Amino acid sequence: MTEDANDSAAVRTDGGESTMSEHEHYEAIVVGCGPGGAAAAAALAENDVETLVLERGVDAGSKNVSGGLIYAEEAAPYTIDDLFPDFREEATERPAEEYKMHNVSGNKVASFDLEEIHHGGTEWCDAVLRREMDSWLADRVHERTRETGGGLLTDVRVNGLLREGGEIVGVTCDELDPITADVIVAADGVNSELARDAGLMNWDEPEDWFQGVKAVVDMDRETIEERFDLDGPDDGAAHLFSGDLFEGVRGGGFLYTNEDSLSIGTVFHLDSIAEERAEPQDLLDALLTHPLLDQWFQGEYEELEYSAKLVPDSKKVANPSPHSGRLLLVGDAAGQMQAQGPIIKGMNHAVSAGGLAAEAFQDAKTRGDPTLAGDLYEQKLEGEGVMDQLRPTRYEATSWLSESSIATSIGSAVMNSPIGRFGVKTFDGLLEKSFNSPFVLGMIPDTKISYVTVPTVIGDVLGEPVSADNEIEPPDLADRIGDLTYDVGDPHIEVLDNSYEASGTAVTACPVSAEDFGGGCYRSETVESNGSKERVVSLDTQPCVECGTCAVVADTHWEHPAGGKGVEFKQG
Amino acid sequence: MPEIDPTEHEISDLGPKVNQVEDADELREMLELEESGEDRTPVKTLIESRIETLEAEDEEPEDAGAVDLSEKTAADVGNLIRDIDEVEELEALLEQEESGENRDSVKRLVQQRIDSVQGSDDDGEEEEILPPEEAHPELDHPTADKKHVRALEDGEYRDMWVYCETQHGELLDVSKEMLGKARELMDGYNEDYDEEEKVVAVVIGDEAESIAEETVAYGADLAVFYEDERLGRFRHKPYAEVYCDMARGAGHPYGREDRPEADWHDYDEPRYAIFPATHNGRDLSALVQAELDSGLASDCSDLYIENEVISNPVKTGAKDKVEFERVLHMPRPDFSGFEYSTILCLDSPRREFHPQGASVIPGKFELPDPDPEREGEVVEHSFDLDESWLDVEVTDHDRLEGGVDLTDHEVVVCVGRGIDRDPTEGIELGVELSETFDDGAFGLTRGVITSSFQFDGHVEQYTGEDRQIGESGQEVEPTLYIAAGVSGAIQHKVGCEESDTIVAINTDEHADIRDWSDYYIHGDLFDVLPAFTEAVESGSVDAALQNFGAVPAGGGDDD
Ligand SMILES: Cc1cc2nc3c(=O)[nH]c(=O)nc-3n(C[C@H](O)[C@H](O)[C@H](O)COP(=O)(O)OP(=O)(O)OC[C@H]3O[C@@H](n4cnc5c(N)ncnc54)[C@H](O)[C@@H]3O)c2cc1C
Ligand SMILES: Cc1cc2nc3c(=O)[nH]c(=O)nc-3n(C[C@H](O)[C@H](O)[C@H](O)COP(=O)(O)OP(=O)(O)OC[C@H]3O[C@@H](n4cnc5c(N)ncnc54)[C@H](O)[C@@H]3O)c2cc1C
Ligand code: SF4
Repeated sequence: MTEDANDSAAVRTDGGESTMSEHEHYEAIVVGCGPGGAAAAAALAENDVETLVLERGVDAGSKNVSGGLIYAEEAAPYTIDDLFPDFREEATERPAEEYKMHNVSGNKVASFDLEEIHHGGTEWCDAVLRREMDSWLADRVHERTRETGGGLLTDVRVNGLLREGGEIVGVTCDELDPITADVIVAADGVNSELARDAGLMNWDEPEDWFQGVKAVVDMDRETIEERFDLDGPDDGAAHLFSGDLFEGVRGGGFLYTNEDSLSIGTVFHLDSIAEERAEPQDLLDALLTHPLLDQWFQGEYEELEYSAKLVPDSKKVANPSPHSGRLLLVGDAAGQMQAQGPIIKGMNHAVSAGGLAAEAFQDAKTRGDPTLAGDLYEQKLEGEGVMDQLRPTRYEATSWLSESSIATSIGSAVMNSPIGRFGVKTFDGLLEKSFNSPFVLGMIPDTKISYVTVPTVIGDVLGEPVSADNEIEPPDLADRIGDLTYDVGDPHIEVLDNSYEASGTAVTACPVSAEDFGGGCYRSETVESNGSKERVVSLDTQPCVECGTCAVVADTHWEHPAGGKGVEFKQG
Repeated sequence: MPEIDPTEHEISDLGPKVNQVEDADELREMLELEESGEDRTPVKTLIESRIETLEAEDEEPEDAGAVDLSEKTAADVGNLIRDIDEVEELEALLEQEESGENRDSVKRLVQQRIDSVQGSDDDGEEEEILPPEEAHPELDHPTADKKHVRALEDGEYRDMWVYCETQHGELLDVSKEMLGKARELMDGYNEDYDEEEKVVAVVIGDEAESIAEETVAYGADLAVFYEDERLGRFRHKPYAEVYCDMARGAGHPYGREDRPEADWHDYDEPRYAIFPATHNGRDLSALVQAELDSGLASDCSDLYIENEVISNPVKTGAKDKVEFERVLHMPRPDFSGFEYSTILCLDSPRREFHPQGASVIPGKFELPDPDPEREGEVVEHSFDLDESWLDVEVTDHDRLEGGVDLTDHEVVVCVGRGIDRDPTEGIELGVELSETFDDGAFGLTRGVITSSFQFDGHVEQYTGEDRQIGESGQEVEPTLYIAAGVSGAIQHKVGCEESDTIVAINTDEHADIRDWSDYYIHGDLFDVLPAFTEAVESGSVDAALQNFGAVPAGGGDDD
């Protein structure tokens, strides 16, 4: 936009360059405009705090992936529609009224209703597509922050923290000169470079993460309403899948209805994907091609977009003290992503945290000491019960037991014994009940028994066979990559050790790479040097969907691409 | 004892008080009090500067009547008359010059001074404008002792000057873009203000003359060039000196004394000066605009000329609003292009800011088509370079590789990751085949470029990114495209699918490339390529294809 020359703020009439020797300064900088950043910025703007929002995508949402159910919880300190009143009308797809869990064993399926837990304590819950949702939010955020003297800038990647005398005072960017602020809200999502820079999160352990992979599938609204048996546009369904359709990899699948498309995806423990050398795209295809899904596809399958992203497991990584100096972490950046069994709640917690971070800064200012913001934020997370949802104490109490593999194999043996199986039968109703208990879900350990064995046994013992033939053919990786939009920049990932031992896991775990596929990011190659053959990996970041997986499973130096560069999701 | 004891006052209310004191001795006493009391530096500065002001006022100006103008250069005269406020005195000087040397430049200077003295008499109401240090003693004034004030008083400014940068003896595109834009702006300007001002192209270098001639075709009315073989490469000192010497008209108070009068340069300085925002252009523009003591809007993305009503008191003096005429508006991106500011370079009541200067981002304006019929004047500028300006020597320079051009060849041979078994040999075989054709080129898939393959030194020149064919590399459309060990990804396909005939060599019968090639040879490239080369050498491509049992493949569109 060209400013009018009479707008004195924008015109320098001395004919010279601005002579400011100091950095540009704002009261608040928010990095990232996902739900966490949008909430923080809106709440800051409400308090008249001069707020600058920096987002690396060409548009907010162009980098973001969710399965897609955003919850508004009754007990939450902030919900997205508190902060953005027209949110549901303008930015969401269909509400998730129906909520079912399918336990799969071969072609036998036992379906439970999980509506009790899904609706319990929930004000509303809608499916969303992130490109549309985030860019709608971004427009509101820009309007509101503009009034405070700030605004939202897209295509800007923050690449680190600006420090003076060891203190964090601002951010540095690829595209702009360093900017200082009284408070910096890092809402830059999973693989937060700022959290890493501040030493508040690391990317070392695959156990700390899930990997989500998703396909958005075209389906017109009438067909959706007919095939899912919905009452018009204000009705929608959610289906979850677990059992033996994922080759023993710990995790599950989901299907949510949008207005005129479906979101179908998988979420697996990253350590399990790594250990099993699983190919994420194959796991997704296993779900897509399962006979159970034929009732909805009926032989037609048109994939609009393939995407992937890491998801933090708050039980392990939610930082109870997510701040350092002027820096406050919000949402995925702080590991605030709650997997309540199969129910995934990240966006809502990011919103709560964003609101609380803004509130904390305002309180600190009122007390005349903005540096108190971090401590106040921590107290609020604790006081509002957000931390307890994210890191339930009962999980910490059971995890030592259930994660040990001896316990797992005993459990497995029991479940597979006639008595165990008999138990499943007798407790049929009770099982469904216990799945609906937040208490039980909260302590479900991350083991094969809970993710694979139990659902499989349930499916096998209680399930009805599905007879349909699902003959759809999902696109192969080359086509999936070919359908994505990229603005290729300089490589943003560097392989530090290219030996297969160090980085070979990425060849399978990267959702756009595979063994025997030459068009992916990671490719395994055999090179001859000095007469001896060596297995190595090579990397081409052009097809990268920036999921973050290889930051954890391979020996890399990992950064996000520069502002506006890299993949651009149209659905998300 | 002075009336005011500074130690009893806050700095902020001392300013006005000190400035009312008319007696330097009283001020000195105040200074002593402050020194022996609070000893605050800003207060001392304040008082000292008031003393200086008073003393300067007391100094009698040279008696103009006693001056012999014929002994003075135009520049000296310029300095001299600045202190003269009496119209009669100035008129006497004018007469003296007319009956003596009768230099136009001197007469103009004196006349200008007369006009300005008379002008300022007209609105006697004008509020006294204090130097910033006196007006705002509570602030610190880091530039207070800036000596380099070379702005003109009542200067005459005309024309739009375009600095035309060259490289390797050719005009840069941005130079042409600026000439085109300047033409458009000045045509509009001359119409709006009923003037006849010019677009002046400035060319400096070792082959400046021929380039100066060329600038006319792109829109210059006049090209002024300075040619010196030592200026083959840009060096900022001599370039800036030459430019400023060109820019300052004869009789310019800060210009060279022996600067001759020139018909085309009947003014003091350019009205507008634009430069390319290239490395060298940025460098030069900053130096030139600083030397001419004006401002610079760097990295502009647009330019237009309009009148502008301004209410900022810094620019309007006491008045509410002033309409500035002929203002060059210089929008430039802030925040790397997320927001824009429009920079204006306006005269202040006490100080002129001309030329209105900008540097322009390359590619922002349309590249004009040259009009060889256009007529214009070309003027050589003569000026002696000072040896010391050339102290910085360019000892070595390198022209970055332009890269390999794969377009515009009859035949292109491309190899892909299928060479992995022996990458060096794979490259050799591909290069050999490409060389059997009169006009053959050799390219690669991105797969090879990003692989971990180890190549022997002698083929390394064939493995660079500049040979990549495809979406993020070059797009080629030869008569014959031979792709060996290439899977045919969509991003590769878009770089070669327009080729007349595409031949794929692949061990995988289901490779995607088969769908969009004209002939498919099923085989190992390490066997097929050498034999194919031999067959082409001894016969024709058709014969070679037949030899290898090439089968017509999917994409038979022969366009
Ligand atoms: C497959 C999958 C399914 C999921 N399902 C659900 C679900 O059903 N319900 C749910 O609630 N959650 C779900 N989640 C999790 C949810 O998406 C996240 O928890 C949520 O998006 C976190 O929000 P956030 O604001 O913290 O970060 P994000 O939404 O990730 O936003 C971060 C923003 O910061 C920007 N950014 C990052 N780095 C920089 C930088 N250096 N400079 C500038 N900008 C930067 C990004 O472009 C992005 O816009 C799912 C996740 C996945 C992958
Ligand atoms: C945004 C983006 C931009 C891209 N831009 C480009 C681009 O500009 N140019 C480009 O080329 N790629 C580009 N790519 C990469 C592209 O997707 C493919 O990965 C790449 O073209 C594959 O290269 P390849 O065919 O050499 O390797 P591969 O796909 O690994 O294919 C190797 C082929 O060789 C065959 N083969 C193996 N051994 C032999 C043998 N001994 N004899 C004969 N055949 C054999 C195999 O069957 C296979 O078909 C881009 C990708 C993205 C995402
Ligand atoms: S290269 Fe790394 S970040 Fe990119 S898609 Fe693959 S695993 Fe994800």
